Amino acid sequence: MGLEQYAVNTLVELAPVFATFYLVALGHSLFEKAGLLDLAIDGVFFMGSSIAVRAAVASGSPVVGTVVTAIAVMFLGIALAFLMTSLPISHGAIGLSMMFLGYGIGIIVGYPARLEVGSIAMYAYSEGESMAIMAISIAIGVAVHIILKYTKLGASIRACGENPHAAASLGVNVLLTRLIAGAAGFAIMGAGSSFFTLAWQKFWDPKSYTLGYGWLAFTVALTSGRHPMILVPISLIFGGLTFYRVKIGVMYGVEKDVANLVPFIAALIAMLVCYATKLKNILAPPTSLGKVYYREERTV
Amino acid sequence: MRFIVVRRTKPHPYIKPLIIALSLITGMGLVAILLTLIGAHPFAILVTIAYSFTTPQVVKDMLLLTMLGCALLISFKGAVWNVGAEGQLYTAIIPIVWITLYVAPWSAGSPPHQPILIILASITAAAVFGAMWGAVAGALRAYVGIDEVPVTLIMNYVAYYVVNILVLGPFRGRYVYGYIRTDDLPDAYKLGINVVMQRTGNAFLDGFLEFIRVVVYYAYWVLAAALVALLTWVVFNHTTIGLRIKILGSNPEFLRAVGVDVRKTTVMALALSGLLVGVASAIYYLGDLTRLTYPIQAQTAGYGYLAILVVWLSMLELPLIPLSAYIVSSLRNAGRNMQIFGLGGLESTLVLLGSVLLTYSALRFLTEYEVRVVK
Amino acid sequence: MSYEYVVLKEISKKFAGGVKALDKVTIEIRTGEVLALLGENGAGKSTLVKILYGVYSADEGTIYINEKRVDISSPAEAIRHGIVMVSQHPQLIDTLSVAENLALGLKAFNAFTSIKKVSKFISEKSGKFGVKIDPWEKVWRLTYTQKQLVEMIRAMLLNARVVLLDEALTYLPLEEKRKFYKFIKEFTAKGGSAVIITHKIPEALEAADRIAILRRGRLVGIIEGGSARIDDVRKMMFGESAAEITYGKLQASQPGEEAVIETQDLWITGDFGENAVRGVSLRVREGEVVGIAGIVGNGQRELTQALAGLRKVSRGRILIGGRDVTNRGVRVVREMGVGYIPDSPLAFGISIDNSMTENIAALYQRKSMLVNWSEVREVASSLIEAYKIMIPDAGSLIKVLSGGNIMKVIVSKEINYCRRALIAHNPTRALDEVSAIMVRKSIKERAISDGVAVLLVSEDLDEIYQVSDSIYVMNSGKLYGPFPPDEAERSNVEHLMVI
Repeated sequence: MGLEQYAVNTLVELAPVFATFYLVALGHSLFEKAGLLDLAIDGVFFMGSSIAVRAAVASGSPVVGTVVTAIAVMFLGIALAFLMTSLPISHGAIGLSMMFLGYGIGIIVGYPARLEVGSIAMYAYSEGESMAIMAISIAIGVAVHIILKYTKLGASIRACGENPHAAASLGVNVLLTRLIAGAAGFAIMGAGSSFFTLAWQKFWDPKSYTLGYGWLAFTVALTSGRHPMILVPISLIFGGLTFYRVKIGVMYGVEKDVANLVPFIAALIAMLVCYATKLKNILAPPTSLGKVYYREERTV
Repeated sequence: MRFIVVRRTKPHPYIKPLIIALSLITGMGLVAILLTLIGAHPFAILVTIAYSFTTPQVVKDMLLLTMLGCALLISFKGAVWNVGAEGQLYTAIIPIVWITLYVAPWSAGSPPHQPILIILASITAAAVFGAMWGAVAGALRAYVGIDEVPVTLIMNYVAYYVVNILVLGPFRGRYVYGYIRTDDLPDAYKLGINVVMQRTGNAFLDGFLEFIRVVVYYAYWVLAAALVALLTWVVFNHTTIGLRIKILGSNPEFLRAVGVDVRKTTVMALALSGLLVGVASAIYYLGDLTRLTYPIQAQTAGYGYLAILVVWLSMLELPLIPLSAYIVSSLRNAGRNMQIFGLGGLESTLVLLGSVLLTYSALRFLTEYEVRVVK
Repeated sequence: MSYEYVVLKEISKKFAGGVKALDKVTIEIRTGEVLALLGENGAGKSTLVKILYGVYSADEGTIYINEKRVDISSPAEAIRHGIVMVSQHPQLIDTLSVAENLALGLKAFNAFTSIKKVSKFISEKSGKFGVKIDPWEKVWRLTYTQKQLVEMIRAMLLNARVVLLDEALTYLPLEEKRKFYKFIKEFTAKGGSAVIITHKIPEALEAADRIAILRRGRLVGIIEGGSARIDDVRKMMFGESAAEITYGKLQASQPGEEAVIETQDLWITGDFGENAVRGVSLRVREGEVVGIAGIVGNGQRELTQALAGLRKVSRGRILIGGRDVTNRGVRVVREMGVGYIPDSPLAFGISIDNSMTENIAALYQRKSMLVNWSEVREVASSLIEAYKIMIPDAGSLIKVLSGGNIMKVIVSKEINYCRRALIAHNPTRALDEVSAIMVRKSIKERAISDGVAVLLVSEDLDEIYQVSDSIYVMNSGKLYGPFPPDEAERSNVEHLMVI
């Protein structure tokens, strides 16, 4: 096998992993760009991957699985964006609660599908579709990048993340803008999470909520400064690390749990590198990320 | 017509209990609806939940969650969100296993004062480990600026896998019949007072006696929980570090402006929190768990996460922690009792946990704000 | 023909702590007029315009525009009715470009319009108003005056019919102010209306066609600008306490020889990496009050923060009591007995979710592991008495107090804490005039009788002149002076503020 062929094989193998991490991190980033803190990510990730299985099994089509998941998760994003913007409540508390609820709902939604069919492999995407998934993912990323950077909508989203009070005063409808970012962001996250079960694992297990891959996607977003294009290489790195760790482990005779440990240690190190160096200024989160937006706040 | 949210000009007298009650009702309602959708009978669910508030199983959980609640309260008051109690709980067990099984294993010839020394050493070592695990997250937040929520959460996974590696390797038991787990804690080191109760045949009386037996068995836990709560009270009401943590929680910039090292205070908050988790962990291991089984993430009872619910539900008020712990342990108990619906272990609890927390987080603003209708 | 474009009818608003910020205020805004809302701090002027701009919601009352009842639920809504506000603190997003900021409110452009197109539009339009702004410039690079100019341009681009200027011009020097007034006159001549919010009587008299005077949330009266006499206005504004209010210079102190606060060629980096303070050298001697005048945003905040130890210095030295404290942090400075009244009082001055005693304890109890609460309570009750702080008791949470009383807690605990030096940045912000004068007097008192060295930074030139023994002017990070206040002409000082 030539080097070229090897590279192609690797890419095909890695494409679903990449698409999962990339889209989940991308949607999460878009959500946070609008100043909405997303700590629900891991629960939403698991829930999305379960909805995808249920919908794919029910319809017989993985595409339906992805679309249904994107729509379902989109409504969740709208709900979260609404709560976090219109009420003076803690984004963190809402997000963490949603994480737990996401785990629970994920199990409830996914379980019947597992009882119904022994394996979900026949409802999943085929290997031939991997490259298409990857291409579409990147296309979505490019679109998000262009909108964020070059349009009025993008400026509005960034304004809401930097200083929603000033944004409102300038005439931005903060709630509407955040609902849009919430809907689009979570829809993208939902699509990404569907690829976890339908393209990458081709397997669903209720215990997989303990995997914590959502937090790896969180790390990807954080260490990319929530930038749609920087997300590409970082997603590849983390995707590769997560995907190949077991193989590499076997190759070097390392225990499975040591291999499992690696991505999480890598996540901590990556965060450390980003925050301890000059990168911190470039990758800085939006100024008002996670801050309560309450218009009638007093001033002295 | 539209709704506007404004700050209350004066506090509402019953709002706090009202929010707590509403959260519980909404949470349970949501669970009932979800489980009904997958075929359970709503009435059966509610009966199960109600029944779960009255069984002796809640005693243990309530005591443990009171301790963990106090531990998390220390960091939460400082708006440092230690969601890593789960990991701290298990890492703190590592030195206990080492001490009780390898450093000073019990044998017939051991001196009679050895158990008390070993138990104290175990508690101390667990406290130190818990504190260190917390301090790492504290230092990352304080000196590097990384949000402690993802860090403590990611560290939970690290804790799981580290404990797994130890159980698979150096800590793997010799007397475990092919199971992958550590050897049992020697009986001499166990914290618990066993009394045998005669059955009377009267169901009500027997139920009551069972309660007594359980409470007596956990007498050490009662003592430990009381001490932990007292310590927490002293910290917040009489020490400068407690005062500083409270101000850290409301306005860290002011804390900095009066010349207090905000970073040190942050690390202290997480270290103290981890320290108390360690103490709770030792009590839990010595009195109940007594061994670690592989893989730990599939065995965990999720106490570290339940404790978050305890603290939030207490509205960060120390006197309400035991009550909140009681409610949460009963709910967890209910989750366990609902396994008949095909949902096992922690999973069913998760929905309950999530929906109560979500409602609570969404309503909590009502303590300081009110909603007005504008026509 | 002039007619009543906006009518605010019986507007009431209550804030936390039960303070009635507005009590049944009825005011109309006519086309083609400049209306001044005059009143001291806490009179309710700002609350009123924030209600009209949809930032706050009124508890009671109605708003009519062109005789139609309207519900203004957001600034976007207000803009739709042709109402635009310009605040004292520019409400622009620093990290965005001028064009991006302006694009946000412009209805002519849809969500997917490219910023490039907007920039072009802005360049063309602003040229018509005779103003040159670079639409691609990031807002944080602009000076305070430029930012206010951008806000004015914004109002014009939005086709404003009513412009609300919430202390937007108050702290600009006369020269700059005149340019803005000219702009406003042209605007009202074409039928627009301008509402100027101010607490300075001369400003209201000079600029307004009509003056509406507010006191403690109530409308005291409306008078014609041309016929108003300053003494009558004063009486309406301050009521029975008018007699206590003086802008006369306070007793001068006899400074010692030794410098207590000294900086040598100080350079400080601002929030965006720019040089906010450039080579500042100053000396404040024992018992001396040194005032620094300047328009907001010229490096004063960075300078005072650095002196308090809150901000890193990139070059130069800070000496306090002869000891080098450069970049040694806040603790060292505080332990030397330095009081600090910060520019953003709610951030660095107090924690409103804690009680007054806890706030005091945090500053005063620094030595032992345990808090001596009886000592703290003693300090608290003496401050409550001395500064007439309206608080249920010392254990009450700060957030139940009114803005003015919060400021009194902040200021009093610092003035009482300082033994050697006091760094005071806008110490009378949000205080009513009587309290403001009391605070200025007690600052001066500490300087004269205890030899405390005071560095007073204020945007209010009246305040600087009233208290200072020596005056500097800060502009673009550079310090000019010192000038003795008796010799320094006000117009010269103002000129230095803008050159």
